[in-house]
Amino acid sequence: MDYFPLLPEIMLIAMSLVFFAATLAKPGQALLERAAFVLALCTLAATWATYDQSGLFFYKAYRIDAFSQTFKILIALGLVLILWMGAGLRGINSWFRPEYYMFLALSCLGLFLMTSAVELLTIVISIEISSYALFVLIPLRRQPFQRDPLEASIKYFFLGAAATGITLYGMSYLFGLAHSTYLEDISVVLPGFLATQPLAVIGIVMLLCGLFYKLALFPLHFWMPDVFVGAAHETTCFVATLPKIAAMALIVRIVAMAGPGSHQIELILMIMAVLSMFVGNLSALGQQDIKRLLAYSSIAHAGYMMVGIVSMNQLGIASAVYYIYGYLLMNIACFAVIYNLAPQGENITVDGLRGLYRRSPLLAAVLAAGAIGLSGIPPTIGFTGKFMIFAAAFQKSFYWLVGLAVLNVCISAFYYLRLVRAAYSSVEEPGERISLTIPAAVLGVMIMAGIVLAGVFPQNFFRLTLKAVMSVL
Amino acid sequence: MHFYQIIAEIIFWLLVLITIGGGFLAIGARMLIHSLMGLSITFLGVAGLYIYLGSFFISLLQVLIYGGAICIVLVFGIMVGYTPRQIVETRIRGENLLLAVPTCGLAVALLYFAIRRTGWVPAAQRLADYSIERVGHTLLYDFCLGFELISLLLLVGMIGAIIVVNSQEEESGGQ
Repeated sequence: MDYFPLLPEIMLIAMSLVFFAATLAKPGQALLERAAFVLALCTLAATWATYDQSGLFFYKAYRIDAFSQTFKILIALGLVLILWMGAGLRGINSWFRPEYYMFLALSCLGLFLMTSAVELLTIVISIEISSYALFVLIPLRRQPFQRDPLEASIKYFFLGAAATGITLYGMSYLFGLAHSTYLEDISVVLPGFLATQPLAVIGIVMLLCGLFYKLALFPLHFWMPDVFVGAAHETTCFVATLPKIAAMALIVRIVAMAGPGSHQIELILMIMAVLSMFVGNLSALGQQDIKRLLAYSSIAHAGYMMVGIVSMNQLGIASAVYYIYGYLLMNIACFAVIYNLAPQGENITVDGLRGLYRRSPLLAAVLAAGAIGLSGIPPTIGFTGKFMIFAAAFQKSFYWLVGLAVLNVCISAFYYLRLVRAAYSSVEEPGERISLTIPAAVLGVMIMAGIVLAGVFPQNFFRLTLKAVMSVL
Repeated sequence: MHFYQIIAEIIFWLLVLITIGGGFLAIGARMLIHSLMGLSITFLGVAGLYIYLGSFFISLLQVLIYGGAICIVLVFGIMVGYTPRQIVETRIRGENLLLAVPTCGLAVALLYFAIRRTGWVPAAQRLADYSIERVGHTLLYDFCLGFELISLLLLVGMIGAIIVVNSQEEESGGQ
């Protein structure tokens, strides 16, 4: 067997082993940080090098194809950017920094496994690996703080346990119907079952619950605001973005397995998408804490992505993948601002942003790029992504769905622009200037450029996502 | 119905009763050790259900590992570890009950009707092929990836538990 296609996973295992050794030696922060960054870059390079590979591994339980590798590139890119953004790990308990990097690597490994797993048990275990590592990362925030990070972690854990239980229960029904745990075998018989057996629909929806939890879609979104407020900024940025990417990969695989003809599943996903958008956006309107606001916005964004997936055609799913790339960039932009604004890693309110443009023009611009992108105003990637998702839904003549989604975009503009207004409003005493380190400034400029350029010239990236989606649909 | 079938049916429902009863005891008990007793009863009930399904080896493992080893570790943990003297009264508030009961009822009803309306296709008859050899083959060939990943998951869980406990202790020690 040729193991070259598994290089990204091997890189991450190596990374976690390196930091496992580092937990004993406890080297200095500068060395740790460089090692983490270099290893994450190597992982990104490995995903890039294995992009063209394909094949089935481990007795057909693990599938490498253009689809999985595209998602792995996104996850590795996210890891690199988050490590770059969180340089210094100011919010993390200093004694546990090697462990922090180790669990970041392990969580990423779980996410990598999720994008490639094509067997139900492997899927559950990989979801659990990524979640368990996050349960540990959240309480490692430096104390003392307004909210207890342990509380956030426990909430995340209990809801995660419940979601996994529902997922396993749904899988037992699918196994009972199809007599196999391999997605390939199930996909042969499932479209027939979905048409005739009501339990197949229930089974699939229950199976998806564990993924909706990672995506923070409406009925399973309760953990999101607490985790956002409780966890350190670096951890929050990770939780907000990367698990969603992997969850989306699996949702697409499972929905593709069910076949595009199932109207019941279509309807259920649509209702969840709409409720998710409304709950997220309406709750975000009144928030003062920026991280809480971003948490609710993240719930709403899970709804937008589902609109793309519900279309169940290549255009819709490819735009959803494109959109999640944009979502990654825009969230890192917002968190980079929060991270640099809080030298002690404390939470920041919207009022705390006042006069930001005088304290640091670059940070204000990065925040503006992120917030404008999230609200979907051109010429950002947020606009192009939303436009393509809605166009795909329109093609399938889901007119009311598109209407409600557009209404939600309008609602969300209120609170995103409130952030921008606060950053650019003049105050008597803006406070001292924020001096950015050179890497942080470079990251800010790069992300701003990424948000705008990927929005104006989507063709190349969109071609990549379309190629990825074509390998599963 | 044949006489033996009736007996089998009775045994099945008895096992279900033991499993569910143990579960209720586990969540309803006010002392931690009583909860644990409920849990072990549930494990034994599940082991009985495995015998009912014809897989003796899995049932043996269930008794040995879950009913035996894990319960003993838990007892050990409870007895050695800190146990609160005062037992917190679990209060179930009225409005919660009002929401929870209809929701659960609805879910059960939905599942019941769905199960009744589904035409189950019986699996191809397997000739009592639940030997240890077969289980080993399945674990180490077909499901080898899952098997290996579970050990990684356990490792993450163990190191994670140690780190979480340590991080909390250090802070309460007044950093």
